[in-house]
Amino acid sequence: MKNLISIGLPSKGRLKESSIDFFEKNNLKPTSNGGERNYFAQIENLPNSKIIYLHAKEIIQRLGDGTLDIGISGLDLLKESSINLQNKIEVKKKLDFGLADVVIAIPDDWIDVQTVADLEEVSFEFRDKKNIRLRVATKYPNLTNNFLVSKGVTQYKIIPSLGATETYPFIGSSEIITDITSTGKTLKDNNLRVLKDGFILNSQACLLVSKKKAAKLRPFLNSLI
Amino acid sequence: MKSKNYSENIIKVFKKDGFVLSEPDVLLDSDYIIQRSGENFRKLMFTFDDDTGKSMCLRPDLTIASCIKYLKENFKENAKIFYSGQAYRRSNNEKDKIINDQLGIEILGSKNKSIDDLKVLKTINSSIEKIKIKNTSIKVGDVSLFQKLIESLRIPERWKVRLKRHFWRPQYFEDLLNRLETNSDVNPVSVDLDKKRFSEMQSLDQSKEIASRKVSEILSRFDRKIKDPRSFGENKKIVKIIREFLKINCEIDKLDKTLKSFVKKNNLNNSLLKELSTVKNFSKINKKTIFSTNFGRDIEYYTGIVFEIYNSKKKEIARGGRYDGLLKSLGSKKNISAVGAAINLNNLKK
Repeated sequence: MKNLISIGLPSKGRLKESSIDFFEKNNLKPTSNGGERNYFAQIENLPNSKIIYLHAKEIIQRLGDGTLDIGISGLDLLKESSINLQNKIEVKKKLDFGLADVVIAIPDDWIDVQTVADLEEVSFEFRDKKNIRLRVATKYPNLTNNFLVSKGVTQYKIIPSLGATETYPFIGSSEIITDITSTGKTLKDNNLRVLKDGFILNSQACLLVSKKKAAKLRPFLNSLI
Repeated sequence: MKSKNYSENIIKVFKKDGFVLSEPDVLLDSDYIIQRSGENFRKLMFTFDDDTGKSMCLRPDLTIASCIKYLKENFKENAKIFYSGQAYRRSNNEKDKIINDQLGIEILGSKNKSIDDLKVLKTINSSIEKIKIKNTSIKVGDVSLFQKLIESLRIPERWKVRLKRHFWRPQYFEDLLNRLETNSDVNPVSVDLDKKRFSEMQSLDQSKEIASRKVSEILSRFDRKIKDPRSFGENKKIVKIIREFLKINCEIDKLDKTLKSFVKKNNLNNSLLKELSTVKNFSKINKKTIFSTNFGRDIEYYTGIVFEIYNSKKKEIARGGRYDGLLKSLGSKKNISAVGAAINLNNLKK
């Protein structure tokens, strides 16, 4: 169907619930024929619509390749994706949920390190005295690289992580980390501390649109924002 | 003149001046470069993994590739080499060339700074004359001058290191100056809080490691940091001097006079005025030479003179400089001084 509008929503957790709330508040109620675990849904009273529940990261990918027209995902995931992909996607609206920061965190007991400038010095100590490079574990290699290099930190190595990044400094897999945090509790509970100027990105959920489909989507988007 | 003829004629001059052909590898080990130059260099490189998962790259720079070859072949003494080839650099800017055709010379293991600097400049200059490019002009800087300035200033040691280290990153350097000026480097409130933790940590096993750093290391750096001499008014004055220095931009013949008045006005010591002979030699080569202290800040490895030669349309046709630290940072056990320059063939073509 040519006029079908494909919408990608996060498939899990609070981001899923808040996304559905957002649609409902705009009088667009997602309804599903199948069970609770069904990954497909429709919007009531909007027959040419299709909702697909996907991993938030996947939503960005699918907006880029044109499988999805509209989606809700995190700004952090969009900014982490390649420039090529980002150029194909427009942030239509920043939504008031999914608020969290991507930050640099270090072991709390590194009391001599308060700022990124301190970190830079320590990274040179690693290189000059120990002949190794400071390792940064992260789910966000691109954001981390851009941030660190812009702050003059170059002597480090990225260690890609898929989750539970907070453990890395204490099991010998990395020295410091960058991660996303909303309350800071997980970091604190794991004896990590955010650097004073270690804020890489203020992230939140966003309504995203595939740029190619902008014309077709205009009527629908007008009803939404 | 066609580009092939350009190359032939330039190479003739290189050979006549005693430079010997050396062909550096096209494929380099990316980890080797990143290990030494840092993660930011990765952005410039075309990398790929071979079947074993080893990361390789196309040479991003012929000077670096030449140095790696020099170290690999374990030369005992100095080498005067020339190369003709391509360097491959990634860029987000579509206007930038990805493939750069370069003809260059390097003196690796340079013993006499002043003589070798002049030698490189002369050879490059005669090559350009040989291919009949006229009305050239030169811009020259000297990175070591900036380092001498910083050494002569009264600021904490780690600030000196920092400013020198980031000279070639102008935007971040500006951040540093702002921070030095406002003294926002050490926060007294958090220092007090951390002092408490400091005394607690003194009773820990000092060789215990926290994320690869010994407790003793952390404590001694903390101690050093809070004891740094700091004076608000003094820092402001120093930042002003640095900014004023970076504005020096004059004809080469007026360099002496300009520097002298800068030194006198700011009550600095005379070390800044020494060893300027190489730079001054430029006026013998080309009358249209401009000296700028703010020049040569885009390539990290330069440590002394830096120059660019332009054609009548102000397009850069050659660049070079002294890089005394590069070979060591690429793995050499001892310091090996070097100086070199390259002609950019792409910009010679009409």
